[in-house]
Amino acid sequence: MAPTLPSSDQASDQDNWDNGRLARKRQLLIEIVLRNKLTALVVDGDTTCRVLEQLLLRSYGVQTQGVDNGRDAVALIASGVKFDLIIIDMILPVLNGLEATRQIRDMGVHCKMLGVTICSGESERQVFLAAGVDVFIEKPLDPEHLVPILRELDGQ
Amino acid sequence: MDVVNQLQRQFIDYSASLHREGFLDDQFTQLQKLQDDNSPDFVVEVASLFFEDCEKLINNMARALEQQQGVDFRQVDASVHQLKGSSSSIGAMRVKDVCVAFRSFCEAQNREGCLRCLQQVTHEYSLLKNKLQTLFRQILAAGGSIPVVE
Repeated sequence: MAPTLPSSDQASDQDNWDNGRLARKRQLLIEIVLRNKLTALVVDGDTTCRVLEQLLLRSYGVQTQGVDNGRDAVALIASGVKFDLIIIDMILPVLNGLEATRQIRDMGVHCKMLGVTICSGESERQVFLAAGVDVFIEKPLDPEHLVPILRELDGQ
Repeated sequence: MDVVNQLQRQFIDYSASLHREGFLDDQFTQLQKLQDDNSPDFVVEVASLFFEDCEKLINNMARALEQQQGVDFRQVDASVHQLKGSSSSIGAMRVKDVCVAFRSFCEAQNREGCLRCLQQVTHEYSLLKNKLQTLFRQILAAGGSIPVVE
């Protein structure tokens, strides 16, 4: 059963042109150094998003794998492969992100899961968090949201 | 090489104008920062991926909207949803903005509105593709790499 789609979309983000935020973003992309080898799984049905999210993670030294549907994600985890971080979209082919998240959690997997999706409503957020993601992030995934999480996983 | 420098400068100016005109937003600048010596053509490759995705999604939408027996608006919406995701990930602001309106028409099951948005999205994507690809080709043909814009 597919999750409900949002009923309204947020307006364009004027903040993008805030120079202060731009400068801080530039800083964040360079600053962090990870002590440990972290691994991440990116689950996104859209090639552009999946590639970009993997590249962003790799730029921080995170080893990544990508799958393009929920069923393959569940199968990969079920096969015993361990990740420090799973990034998963809500709407996925074959098996949707909510159900995939639930199944992964039901397996007893406790790693950090980020729900990264274009859906921006409060109800979507609640539903995704209830399914088992730890953090809900509206696309695009950016360093501002990612870096604190990587630091936490790295034990900094 | 003078030609390369000239083209790279041209790219930087052109990139700035694309930002000003609203074709690209801050996210595109972020992408350019991910480019390094290990992946000098990263921006070109990602842009190409995006354009491939766009074409596929636009075709899906067109096919779904063509159905005379009854349009499956959920199918259209799923494609628009994906396009909204990838366009916002790459910083294609104008494409993303059309997707916002497009989704409202899908929800309202308004075929006319959807068809208008489809036209708009096709137009915006073609514009962006032309603007970026011409420039990419010029720089790469001259033997240079896409410069990182500060």
